[in-house]
Amino acid sequence: MKQKRVLLLLSLLMVASLVFSAYGLTAAQEEEVVLRWRTRPDNQEEADVYQSISDSLELEGITLEYEPGGSETASYQDVLKTELASGTAPDVFWIPGTDVADFATRGLILDMRAMADATEGYSDDAFYPGPMFHLTFNPETGNTGEALWGLPRDVSTFALYINLDLLAEAGVDDPRELEANGEWTWDAFMEVAEAVSALGDDVQGYGGSAWWGPYGVWMNAAGGGFFTEDRSACALDTPEALEGLQFAQDLYASGAAVPYGEDPEPPFRSGNLGMFQNGRWATPGIRTVEFEWDVVGLPTGPAGNPGNWLFWGAYVVNANTPYPEAAWELVQALTTAEVQGIVAELGANIPSRVSEEALDAFLSFTPPANNQAFLDGLANSPTAEGPLWAGSWPDFGAVMDTAVSSLLTGETTVEEFGATVCDEANKAFP
Amino acid sequence: MTVNNQPPSVSGPGKFQDNTDLVLRVLLFWHGIFAIGALAGTLMLWRGESTIAMWLKIIYSGALVISAVLSVIAIPAIARRKHAGRVISLILNYLGFLLCFFGGLHYLGVFTGIDALGATFANGLPYFGLAFVGYLIGAFGDRYEDRQPAFAKNIKRGAKYIGIIGGILFLIAVGIIPGTLSLLSKLSSFRSIILLAGTIIFALMTWLMWREPTRVAMNAKSKDQLMLDGYLFLSPNFIGFLFFFAGPLLFSLYISFTDSDAFGNANWIGLENYQEIFDLTMAPLDSPEQLAKEVIDIEVYDELTRFQFFSKNYVIGAVDQLFWISLGNTIKFVILAVPLSVIPALMLATVLNSKVPGMKVYRAIYFIPSVAAVVGVAMIWRWLYNSTVGYLNYFISGFVEFVNKIAGTPLLTDPQIGWTSDTKVALLAVAIMAAWQWMGFNTVLFLAGLQNIPGVLYEAATVDGANNWQQFWNVTLPTLAPTTFFVLTTTTINAMQIFDQVFVFTRPPGGPGTSTTTIVLYLYRQGFQNFRQGYASALAWVLFLLIFGLTLFQYMRQRSGDEAI
Repeated sequence: MKQKRVLLLLSLLMVASLVFSAYGLTAAQEEEVVLRWRTRPDNQEEADVYQSISDSLELEGITLEYEPGGSETASYQDVLKTELASGTAPDVFWIPGTDVADFATRGLILDMRAMADATEGYSDDAFYPGPMFHLTFNPETGNTGEALWGLPRDVSTFALYINLDLLAEAGVDDPRELEANGEWTWDAFMEVAEAVSALGDDVQGYGGSAWWGPYGVWMNAAGGGFFTEDRSACALDTPEALEGLQFAQDLYASGAAVPYGEDPEPPFRSGNLGMFQNGRWATPGIRTVEFEWDVVGLPTGPAGNPGNWLFWGAYVVNANTPYPEAAWELVQALTTAEVQGIVAELGANIPSRVSEEALDAFLSFTPPANNQAFLDGLANSPTAEGPLWAGSWPDFGAVMDTAVSSLLTGETTVEEFGATVCDEANKAFP
Repeated sequence: MTVNNQPPSVSGPGKFQDNTDLVLRVLLFWHGIFAIGALAGTLMLWRGESTIAMWLKIIYSGALVISAVLSVIAIPAIARRKHAGRVISLILNYLGFLLCFFGGLHYLGVFTGIDALGATFANGLPYFGLAFVGYLIGAFGDRYEDRQPAFAKNIKRGAKYIGIIGGILFLIAVGIIPGTLSLLSKLSSFRSIILLAGTIIFALMTWLMWREPTRVAMNAKSKDQLMLDGYLFLSPNFIGFLFFFAGPLLFSLYISFTDSDAFGNANWIGLENYQEIFDLTMAPLDSPEQLAKEVIDIEVYDELTRFQFFSKNYVIGAVDQLFWISLGNTIKFVILAVPLSVIPALMLATVLNSKVPGMKVYRAIYFIPSVAAVVGVAMIWRWLYNSTVGYLNYFISGFVEFVNKIAGTPLLTDPQIGWTSDTKVALLAVAIMAAWQWMGFNTVLFLAGLQNIPGVLYEAATVDGANNWQQFWNVTLPTLAPTTFFVLTTTTINAMQIFDQVFVFTRPPGGPGTSTTTIVLYLYRQGFQNFRQGYASALAWVLFLLIFGLTLFQYMRQRSGDEAI
């Protein structure tokens, strides 16, 4: 009996001690500034680079804890929103450009304009104007330049990853040479795709993933787009947008493309796909393929440019962070040219600072040999992805993706699409 | 003051009576204070400006008022030594203790710290190992207890000291010293003092009422004590159920009547969410090709479907078109996946029920998909389903080629099925994958049912001249009815709630188009991507009612089937 009581007492003591120990950890955290920050790496190599950056950053009086976010079962953004609702989100986190408006208008992220203006040496002009237009937008006044919701982590553009072995086997002209000669047009692109797909039943000429990025390119290149110029209404039914979608539908209907909705990465990696449209972020994974490959820019469309996107995301600060100044300091530290150069070594994305030094660093990390194709995408008036300050991007995107999917799989015609899509899509705007 | 008009005594049983009387007086006084405090707390909640949300204020006030009323009821009951008073007192004090104790831990940040403790636990592992070594040495010493008791005693003493030293070093390594110091410093805050005092007082009152002399004085019978013991053991589970299941469930019901976005913006809108879900309109069309916007208000409704009835064309519009699409997809998925996962499971169970050597290995193999992670399963199946490099289409193409070669003419055409890109096939692809994963578990259930069927039934059937199929149809299936009902019901419920497989397998989730968008995926999208938690909650409750109705229907059919037998 006595032994039982002793054991019970010891067990209670052990539990209590662990509780005390646990308390000590939070108390310690409360005494010093500990910033949790998160970004969404696309692979383990990227996560390792961000961890090493977090470990090497020396910010006085600040301890950093890096949390790589996102997994196969949990969307990065969905987890983040849940944590924001429960008050356990990190102090600094990355969000894609399309989400900035939703987070800002709901008061979830901090407007750092006052802190930025008080920071010596800071200038909005150090970053690409496309992202900064949205990151400095004040939804109350409708003017840009009056707020600062975050700083862009990096930017990226699309290019076509090309299987040089397959192209050579098909006997087509090298798209890189065609591009250099100004002959890389939609017609030339279609010829290459059809020639490659003629090599066999299980070989295709082109593949693009099923989201707005790849099909949006064709619309942009035809002079169209998703929204009106002031981004307050749907513009999917303009003649230019429909021209772009018609080309895309013809491409898929020709059989030269991986069926829309199928994942094109497996056939490209297995050497059965001639051209794979993707962003710079796919490069680390593509480097492991066992055939000769490179990249080439997107073909020029009827509007005279390739219609590329400027993809970006930003480091933003949790509006409820207890350390706003420290968080602003971290955001700046994560977007210095030096740090961006380290990330660029991975070859995953392009630095968001307008800096020759950063671009030169980016160009030096090969393969692909033709890294310049991504930078050319920056130079050719790309359309910056951006949030909808006047509407709901998730609602608009859901309608658009469904309608375009139906179009590109041949279930509807371009005429039917044009006649009905904006009726639904405009409901995303108030 | 006397209790129950009994004067205090000074010796033997009288002294016992004195102590118990004093205890009961203390408890009466405490309940008086408690009732006053609870009412005062209620008043304070509603006076002045408070940042607490209205619904929380209502809940807190309700709880405090109920506690105050119960406390007041307990006072005369305790004074009259009625056991009901003891029960009420124990409930109030026990719950009060739990609230103050866990509330205190929460405000001190211990729960967050426990999460972080995982990071430092590794520091203490070597010393934990040392403590474990001490235990092993002690166990080793037990072997010599009979033969060399002195040696065994020394071994055990040494083991005890090693264990204690290991334990102390472990606690130091995980930070007990800074933790205790920080905790003591934090305890000086007003809130911490109140919570600590509350914890101690409630614990003391609970113990005072629970102890045996009080139990006797309150005329507790054996069955009363058994009842209290039972509820005490049940309480962790029950309270956990209330806080982590029933509570959030009721909260979601409340949220479904608001326009909550989960970030603190919630206005009561009544049945508007439900109205939006079920708002439909129908209009006649002049021709099958007429645009819907010419006959229905396209700013409110989206075209859902059009149909022909007695040579007349009609269009149906819905405010929430995607709800109906997802409902249709879910029903289609149930129709595909349930038979695909139940019928083969029954067949497989029948085969596995045989006494052929090696069947136990096969049973384990067929169960593996049930325990495999959804992510891994989805990734593998996505590769299998790939229309250009996937094995499925490879084997189909091979089969077509083989048949055509045999026939000497292209009898068959290679379909090159777009499993994940064709809207007509994508849901079937998900259903096949889900059925493959669920089949193993259903097989195990059927196997258990089969093994409960008495062998004499089969013997009698054999004597009567029944063949295998007749025995299966007339003996196996009827006696397996309860198991079949259970398997069908649980599989149907799982199918109605399908989410994981669709979310991970399809890209984008719910695609291609909206062909694999199910109700749970849709409500997830509304809640977590569109910031419409209120609407998502309403969708969840609609789904609950659908599943409940379906399960009730199945149950009624099963019952009528049993009655017929």
